[in-house]
Amino acid sequence: MAATHQFSESNGAGEVETIPVANLNFGSNDSAELDTTTYPITRGDDSFEKYLRSKFTGTWTEISNMKFWKSAGAYVTGEEIKAAANATYAQPSATPNADSAVPTTEGTALAIQSAEGDVVITYGASGVSGYTKYVRLQTHSTGSTPAGAGNQKTFTFQYDEV
Amino acid sequence: MSNTIDKNLDSGNNSMDSLSFYWMAKFEDSILFQFDNGKENRFQLVKDNLDKLIFFHLYQKDGNKRFIVDLKNGIIKYNSSSLPEIKEEKNNIRLIYFRRHTIKIGEIDLKEKSHIITYFLGLQWTFNNKNKNIILQINDNGDFIIDGK
Repeated sequence: MAATHQFSESNGAGEVETIPVANLNFGSNDSAELDTTTYPITRGDDSFEKYLRSKFTGTWTEISNMKFWKSAGAYVTGEEIKAAANATYAQPSATPNADSAVPTTEGTALAIQSAEGDVVITYGASGVSGYTKYVRLQTHSTGSTPAGAGNQKTFTFQYDEV
Repeated sequence: MSNTIDKNLDSGNNSMDSLSFYWMAKFEDSILFQFDNGKENRFQLVKDNLDKLIFFHLYQKDGNKRFIVDLKNGIIKYNSSSLPEIKEEKNNIRLIYFRRHTIKIGEIDLKEKSHIITYFLGLQWTFNNKNKNIILQINDNGDFIIDGK
């Protein structure tokens, strides 16, 4: 079969993987698929970081040109989602990190590498795990961010396959 | 030709349902189907034999749309009609083919909201020491746009 794609989220000090992950809810807890009403983000705080990556299974020849960006969902006042491409996994933290704002266009998208640090995932090559590196995401808010849920965001992951 | 292809559409237990187009490669001395009696042939086999490749077909799994790249003459056909071509001497004609996956996910309820596959099919050649190309972007329904430079 062609390549099958799944999103994966990792959490915890010992890296517990949830795959496929059903949602990417940001909140005040380090867990996958969290309930935002149980773990809301206090105004002025940041969410716990999310470590998202992709996994390819099945068969293919090459996967390349991997990109990630926020494709929809307007910010409310004082809100921003930060992101870093090809991050190394560390226990997610709610401490504000120094990452840049997630790109919002394909032209400025984050370029994603394979877990092994290559821009192409070659099927069957020695040492190829089928994973990408991590995208680290964190929601940032300020004291001026209005109370209540923000607008829903949509992210896009894109890749070429032969 | 179409009957031959239809006989080879069997994808067995492979989960290829996400693909609406399959490929077929005609070489100087053989034909290779993406699916052959339930087994998938990887595109690597085409890449490994590009010097012998004459035609590359992309045909609809559940329909009758077919795109044919003629590597010897540097033209692309849609069903039986030739698409507009650039009439110039084409040297070193190369195949362009890949599938672009666009997966949209939501912050909340992040199921894969949509997984769109676009087929890129075309030709690249050299003219006056410059690389030129024509590429079709084909959606699941077989609708396409033509791009090139």
